[in-house]
Amino acid sequence: MAQQTFKSAKKRYWRAFIPIMVLYLIATLAGSAFLLTFEVEPTWLQATIALACSLPMIFFLYVQIRYFLETDEYDRLIQLKGFAIGAAITVSAIFLLGFLQMFHVIDRIEVFWFGPAFFVAYGLSTYAIGGRQCLP
Amino acid sequence: MSAVRNTIRALRTEQGWSQAALADQLGVSRQSVNAIETGKYDPSLPLAFAIARLFGKSIEEIFDDQTEAKLAAE
Repeated sequence: MAQQTFKSAKKRYWRAFIPIMVLYLIATLAGSAFLLTFEVEPTWLQATIALACSLPMIFFLYVQIRYFLETDEYDRLIQLKGFAIGAAITVSAIFLLGFLQMFHVIDRIEVFWFGPAFFVAYGLSTYAIGGRQCLP
Repeated sequence: MSAVRNTIRALRTEQGWSQAALADQLGVSRQSVNAIETGKYDPSLPLAFAIARLFGKSIEEIFDDQTEAKLAAE
């Protein structure tokens, strides 16, 4: 039944979202704290912690796409529009800030911040298109 | 706004169903039912068939793309 799919899509989303966020917080906080205990951090450890911090967010994107595929058709349309607009805003910002940086107009930017910026742009776009009820 | 008009709100009210009750039976969210009723969204063919089946009517009886009215106007 489609309704079961729609309801189970939301359930499956939240069931994955909460542990992913907990893992992400643990990885970032514990990882950073652990790195601070070293005077000179070994590169392999820095890389491992960076990977541990990124993996939950990569898995979160998988969960997000799975939600798009499982939810009902109207919700899917709203989510995909929000996702596309969020991506367009973020990529536009990457180009603009990238060129400004390349031409030495602005200082170096941490690439990391484009990730959270995308999620903010995606959330706000989805809210603008479909209202509060359309957020997963 | 969609060019396809529908009588879902009237049929739903006739049955005494809320949007949420209709959504439950159709297997979609209440927001979807609201968007279809207000003409913000045209359902897919499978969903249109499900709606027609639920109300015991044909798709044409529920959805009107106003083609005839447009042709008459031309």
